[in-house]
Amino acid sequence: MNLLTDPVGITHYLIVGAILFVTGAVCMATKRNALGVLMGIELVLNGANVNFVAFGSEYLRPGVLGIGLDGQLIALFVIILAAAEAAVALAIVLNFYNNHSTVDVDRADELKG
Amino acid sequence: MDPVTTLPVLLGIAWLVPLASFTLILLFGPRMGKHGQGAGMLATAAIGTSAVLSLIALFFVWVPAYDWAPEHHAAHAEHGAAEHHDAGHGEAGHDDAHDKDAHGADEHQAEEHKTEEHKTADEHHDWRKPYVAGEWYTLGQFGKLRIGISYYIDSLTVTMFAMITFIATMIHFYANGYMHDELHEITDHEVTLSNGHHLHRPGRFHRFFQYLSLFCFSMLGIVIAGNIAMVFVFWELVGICSYFLIGFYIERKSASNAANKAFIVNRVGDFGMIIGLMILIATLGTFSFGDIDTDGDGTAEPGIFSLVRTEANNYALVVPDGMVRAAAASEIAAGVEPSAEQIAAWRAETGPGGIGRTAYWLLIVAGLGIFCGCVGKSAQFPLHVWLPDAMEGPTPVSALVHSATMVAAGVYLVGRFYPVFTPETLLVIAVIGCITLFIAATIAIVAVDIKRVLAYSTVSQLGYMMLALGVGGWSAGMFHLITHAFFKSLLFMCSGSVIHAVHTNDMTKMGGLRHKMPFTAYTMLAGCLAIMGAGIPFMIGLSGYYSKDAILAQALSFKASNPQWGFLFYVAAAGAAITAFYMFRLWFMTFAGKPRDHHAYDHAHESPKIMYYPLIVLAVLAVVVAWPFWPVSIVALLEQARPEGFHETVNGVLVSNLTHPAEHISHEPNFHIQATWVATFVGLSGLGLAIVFYGLSLLNPAEVARQFKPVYTFLWNKWYFDELYDYIFVRPVLFVANRVAEFDKVVIDGIIDSLAMLTRMVARLDDLSDRYLVDGFVNGLAAWTYATGSKLRSAETGRIRQYVMFIVVGTVAMFVLISLYIS
Amino acid sequence: MEPINWHSVFFLVFALLACGFAVAVLLTSNIVRMAFYLVLSLAATSGLFFLAGADFVGAMQVMIYVGGTLVLLIFGVMLTAQGPFISMKTSAGEWTLGIMVGGLLLAVLLQAATSIDAWQPQAVIEGDARPTATRLGMGLLGARVDKLDEVDPVQRGGMSGYLLPFEIVSVHLLVVLVGSAYLARPKKRAQNSSWEGLK
Repeated sequence: MNLLTDPVGITHYLIVGAILFVTGAVCMATKRNALGVLMGIELVLNGANVNFVAFGSEYLRPGVLGIGLDGQLIALFVIILAAAEAAVALAIVLNFYNNHSTVDVDRADELKG
Repeated sequence: MDPVTTLPVLLGIAWLVPLASFTLILLFGPRMGKHGQGAGMLATAAIGTSAVLSLIALFFVWVPAYDWAPEHHAAHAEHGAAEHHDAGHGEAGHDDAHDKDAHGADEHQAEEHKTEEHKTADEHHDWRKPYVAGEWYTLGQFGKLRIGISYYIDSLTVTMFAMITFIATMIHFYANGYMHDELHEITDHEVTLSNGHHLHRPGRFHRFFQYLSLFCFSMLGIVIAGNIAMVFVFWELVGICSYFLIGFYIERKSASNAANKAFIVNRVGDFGMIIGLMILIATLGTFSFGDIDTDGDGTAEPGIFSLVRTEANNYALVVPDGMVRAAAASEIAAGVEPSAEQIAAWRAETGPGGIGRTAYWLLIVAGLGIFCGCVGKSAQFPLHVWLPDAMEGPTPVSALVHSATMVAAGVYLVGRFYPVFTPETLLVIAVIGCITLFIAATIAIVAVDIKRVLAYSTVSQLGYMMLALGVGGWSAGMFHLITHAFFKSLLFMCSGSVIHAVHTNDMTKMGGLRHKMPFTAYTMLAGCLAIMGAGIPFMIGLSGYYSKDAILAQALSFKASNPQWGFLFYVAAAGAAITAFYMFRLWFMTFAGKPRDHHAYDHAHESPKIMYYPLIVLAVLAVVVAWPFWPVSIVALLEQARPEGFHETVNGVLVSNLTHPAEHISHEPNFHIQATWVATFVGLSGLGLAIVFYGLSLLNPAEVARQFKPVYTFLWNKWYFDELYDYIFVRPVLFVANRVAEFDKVVIDGIIDSLAMLTRMVARLDDLSDRYLVDGFVNGLAAWTYATGSKLRSAETGRIRQYVMFIVVGTVAMFVLISLYIS
Repeated sequence: MEPINWHSVFFLVFALLACGFAVAVLLTSNIVRMAFYLVLSLAATSGLFFLAGADFVGAMQVMIYVGGTLVLLIFGVMLTAQGPFISMKTSAGEWTLGIMVGGLLLAVLLQAATSIDAWQPQAVIEGDARPTATRLGMGLLGARVDKLDEVDPVQRGGMSGYLLPFEIVSVHLLVVLVGSAYLARPKKRAQNSSWEGLK
């Protein structure tokens, strides 16, 4: 298939979403910096958002009503929640930094069994 | 006042007042006054109320309502019964000396009554014994059988009520003084505890009066009871009261033994009574004495008496239909009611093996069964052994038991049940009474315990009563019961007074006490004279004179009719002599001569007034109560209650030549005069012997005793009755009981012990399994969980990044698994 | 030779940008750079949204994510970006493990994304793009104007809008902002008082 001439389908969006998701997940798993972990979360949420928008798009699957505008609405909520989450997480990180004088998440192991 | 409505109320209240007193003392006894002193007053007041009510019932209700004069009966006999029987004795029978006196004193009045009575007699057509029967409360009705609280009031009931309540009142007064010690803490010198000290216990004054009230209530219940079942209930109540009171000093071994003995011996007699009751319930279907209209249809249902002596048969004894049916049970087809003719035909089969004879035997056995109860309660041979031991109770109890209540109950029941007794039953009663009176009298000669002498005297006198009843002297027996109650209670209370003074029962430690306690001495002398039957022949005498005369006369009359049973009279006469001898032996040993124990003599003193005033009252009554000159003489009252069918001579069926002469025959001069002379002679001879031995000490009793050593020992050991019963009953029972106890200990205990051992072993196994299996499982599970947790613990690193990795790996793994299983 | 599908070309461009900067975020260890690459990745994603016809969502992506959230993140980076924390190295073993696990997950996701036929590319509808802002706004207010002409009664069941979730999200957002402001408020002293403040 030729990407330059063939139309784009949901699959393509899903592939992009998957890559973003996996990148975010690996980012969360490998970054020692708390802010890096946060960024990984943003990436994961973003990947999910791509999927929602793709499923709700009326251009990618003409003639078939998917989830329609619901996808976009959910995507909107996700964006809003991501913003809220970012604010809270940042507050937590600042507190953590105040208490531990570091942002290394490996140092936050008080819950170790 | 209408006696039919008044008497049940008056006597019912008189009956229940002691119960109320008992209940109050039971609930509040210890809090009544100082140390419960109020209990004595309450009980005395209660029985006093009963006495007043009973006397009112006797003098103001019964006597005015029913003409008591002997002519009363004579008139009716003329009118009704005389048509069927010898016209001769209707009038003549009552023309004896007593009745002449009464007649003379009251002729005018009697004449008036006569005309009046004729009128009523015309209305009733026939003479019937006046009685009031009814039911207060029905306890239950089981088919035909009805059990209730009913009453049967006739002249005998009223007289007994007056006698019992009056004497009981006297005894209550006396007991208030006698039991004074019980008001405080008591040290019982006869009980030594294991630590060598004497028993020290709180006083039981209130409890004594509590039992005394219950005792009176029970006895009055027997007297007023209108059915034999109720009699039985109160019979047992009297038994339990006597048990409480005889065992009043329960800490003394002898007292508790005596109480047990009295109770157990009475049970033996009651067993026979239950057999009698069962025969009556099975064959007659009623317990009631009199005719009571129970179903309210206007006609009275016949009671036992009416069934046994039907009006149609002119009150002669017939075997009731019920017994005939029971005897002919094998002849009667199920569900078929035999006709009256058939029953009459069966009844007539009196030959050996005949149905009539079987039915007659049923009647005899029923009567003997009831008599069995009386034997126990009235201490007749062979169940007389409990009465002397009953002396362990406080003396007022002895006085009450021996005069008005317990032992009187037996004689009373024989008198009450008289219509049911066949001549054969009566003969048994006579023989038993005769044996009893002789045995007891002989033992009394040698006894030295003052209360025991009186106890054997009581047994002997009861024998007299039974003898009198047995030989057909119904009124003689009941008469003696009443007179005896007066002088025996007097004698016992006098002896109590003496014991109170010298603190011993042993006559050999007394003597000369009349100087110290004159009231007691001379009232007791009156009692002794009364029991001996002293009097001037054909002129006047003490109460015993009249009643004993009547008994001897009846025995003489019986001897004349049945020469083969003549020994009854001779033994009775001999008994009279012995009675006089031992009573005066007692009096002389106690009050006359020189003091044998100076310590006791010096401490002796006259009893307080509350104790000797009742003595004086009773002494006066013991002298005068039987006089026939009174407007209301006891004999006349009793004659009124005479059971129907005993106005005439009756003949036995099974025993040939057995004739019970009608009682009025004994009043004829040939018997009466002879009997009076005999009685006077034997009485005087007994008195004379006593004077020779003890009054003037002309002969030394000890020497005589040595001379007749075997006889003396025999009597001293009370004819070896206790030893005999010990060998025959007690030891075998103990032997068997010991074997059973050993069996229990060895076999049953062994089984139980081994069972227990087994249980313990099982329990131990269970314990082990619990500890190692169950606990092991639970603990193992816990340990495993702990170990797993500890291992899993290392996975919880607390590192976020690792967790993210786990999530991812988990997701992938789930995907792999799902795709593996779904596709 | 078929004519170049410009939709596909733009998709390819934005997709490569988004994925590439995402991988760059992953690979760099400098926190400041990470933030920068993330901004670019998110902005490229908004381009993908526009291509899918979600104009409003795309705009929101740029405004909220790029304009709001990332500014917030960058504030955080600047507040904590002191010497040793700017670049924190991750050990090679962790890298290996992360890549392996990530690869596995990627394989799973890609397998899922490509295995459904209905998701394969379709013919593109020619015509004007219809703006979605109005419809979304009405949906958030509770009126689903996009479903008015729906014939299938089951589909019309989705007529209910998102008013309640919208309100909840609004309140949620408010609470979160207040909470974060409280958490991040300046502390007088370093250790004890801050714990007390949390309590």
